[in-house]
Amino acid sequence: MWQQVELALSQSAHRALVTLANFLPGVLALLLAILILTAIGALLAALLKRLLTALRFDDRLSRNSLVPLDWAPSNGPTLLVTRIVFWACVILGFLIGISAFDAAYAGNSQMSFFLLPYLTHSVGAILLLIAGTLLSRYLARTVLIEAVNARLQYARFLSVGVKWLVLVLTAATVLDHLEIGGMVVDLAFGILFGGIVLTLALAVGLGSRDIVSRSLEKNVDTEVPPTDPTSYKQPGASETLRHF
Amino acid sequence: MASMPTNPATTAAETDPRLHTGLLVHLSTVSADFLEPTLENLAAAFSNQSVLVAIPELENLGSLKSFQNLRLLPYSPATTSTTSWVLTAADYFNTYKLAQENNASACLLLGTDSHTMAAESIRNLAYATLSGPTDLVVSRYHPGPREGLVNSAILYPVTRALFSARPRYPLAIDLGLSLRMTERMATLAQRYTAANQEDSLLWPISEAAAAGLSIAEAEVPKRDTPQPTPVDLNALLGQILSSFFSDIDSRAVFWQRMRSVLPAREIADAPLAVEHLDVSSMLDSFHLAYSNLHEIWALVLPPHTLLGLKRLSVVSRDSFRMADSLWARIVYDFVLAYRLRTINRSHLLGALTPLYLAWVASHLILIQSGVAAERHIEDVARAFEADKPYLVSRWRWPDRFNP
Repeated sequence: MWQQVELALSQSAHRALVTLANFLPGVLALLLAILILTAIGALLAALLKRLLTALRFDDRLSRNSLVPLDWAPSNGPTLLVTRIVFWACVILGFLIGISAFDAAYAGNSQMSFFLLPYLTHSVGAILLLIAGTLLSRYLARTVLIEAVNARLQYARFLSVGVKWLVLVLTAATVLDHLEIGGMVVDLAFGILFGGIVLTLALAVGLGSRDIVSRSLEKNVDTEVPPTDPTSYKQPGASETLRHF
Repeated sequence: MASMPTNPATTAAETDPRLHTGLLVHLSTVSADFLEPTLENLAAAFSNQSVLVAIPELENLGSLKSFQNLRLLPYSPATTSTTSWVLTAADYFNTYKLAQENNASACLLLGTDSHTMAAESIRNLAYATLSGPTDLVVSRYHPGPREGLVNSAILYPVTRALFSARPRYPLAIDLGLSLRMTERMATLAQRYTAANQEDSLLWPISEAAAAGLSIAEAEVPKRDTPQPTPVDLNALLGQILSSFFSDIDSRAVFWQRMRSVLPAREIADAPLAVEHLDVSSMLDSFHLAYSNLHEIWALVLPPHTLLGLKRLSVVSRDSFRMADSLWARIVYDFVLAYRLRTINRSHLLGALTPLYLAWVASHLILIQSGVAAERHIEDVARAFEADKPYLVSRWRWPDRFNP
């Protein structure tokens, strides 16, 4: 019996080692492809930057364009072109690496079947995460500034609410994209999203109760003029100012 | 509006033969309702003199009464703009086309509601344009202490400090242009009209200053200034300041070299009577912004300025006073942040609105205490001139330590 256990263990260890031996060349090929193409990209970007700077590309572009182009000094056209070249090389390296990784298994391995989709989906998930984070920050700032300029007392609350709405939506999309969690993510997302929306609606509704009631009163006043003209409110201070 | 002494040259101008020598009056934004009073006004301004008046094709042209001394020139605009309260790229472009087609030697570009100007003011403007070597004549309006506040707070002091240009109204809507100035403005306008941006604002003073052309002012003591149709201050401020800051950015090479400081204006110290105005809503707006936008301001403003704002946020209403140097520093830092794109540009300009309202509140409190509004605006302009080296230094070395 002990011999059977020993055999089972040695066979299992052998299988694991064989799988690892099959797995490693693929990973190595992936890493190597990314590294080589990143180095090529960096080299190309540096050469291109030198060339465009020597040709005064930024000056020529702004001089010859019909529409006035305004670039930030830290993000000129030269820098944009070199960055595009660099990142194109990195993505190319990743694509080559993925196909090398795929080829290493010849389609008969369980590992390839599970790992490859995750690897490819993880790129999309990272991009989604970056886009979602940027969007949440942009929207949060927009809402905050607009709400402050509209003199809403709960401006920060509104801004934080919008930020978390987008972040929760992003997290759910990323998990869904990676096929992690299944129904649990859908349910949790529904509950969280609905909860945030309800909280915001309640907060805004309760906070703007006065505004709504004033608006309704104003409408009633317009329909039926009051007998005492002094009961009308004086126009606000900003109405007598001319900013332009 | 306050009345101001008129140009002594006015009486002489009535018979000055130079006035009608190739002068083209362009009413680019005149509405059909006010066409007749506008033409009556022009006829009175140029009595006994023949003047060419260009007007866009309007429905009621046929029913107009005739004016003997005005030669009407209806035209179909090459480009049209939907904005009428201020002069746009389309207006400058059309003016040059008309001037070229009619061999005009100078142009008067009169904005909306020009019928409310005195005939004498129009004559003054024409005289200043045609007499002497002036290339750009800008109207000098005399609004009340509560009017034209964006101009007083930002446009005038910045233009004066950066371009060493005297005109009090950089965004004036009644201008006198020599032919070469008209051509320059049209060239500039064409860059926008070619990109279907006919509504873009242009800044003739900076253009004239950068080209080394001469600039003068003409008194317009009385005029109703047209107001923009969208009343959202935030959006309007964003639109105007975006164009203004872009113009500053594009002319950085020129204004960094300008070192001259203009002599102070002569201002009558007798303040105009100002009725009490409740500024509490503007102060509330500032306090709300201080507690919410502090993080965004911290990306744009240096610690010293933030400290100034912190002090301002705790003072009482009666002693609320934004120092002129603090305001100059704020505006300059926003100009820099606009150039560097420190944050999204629409966010940046939105974050400036409550600070501008704080300045307005401070200005109104000051003039209610008996200080003449023009005196305060001159002090603000001098503060901007004094702080110009800061802008130049940070423009050149934005990453240098700035406490």
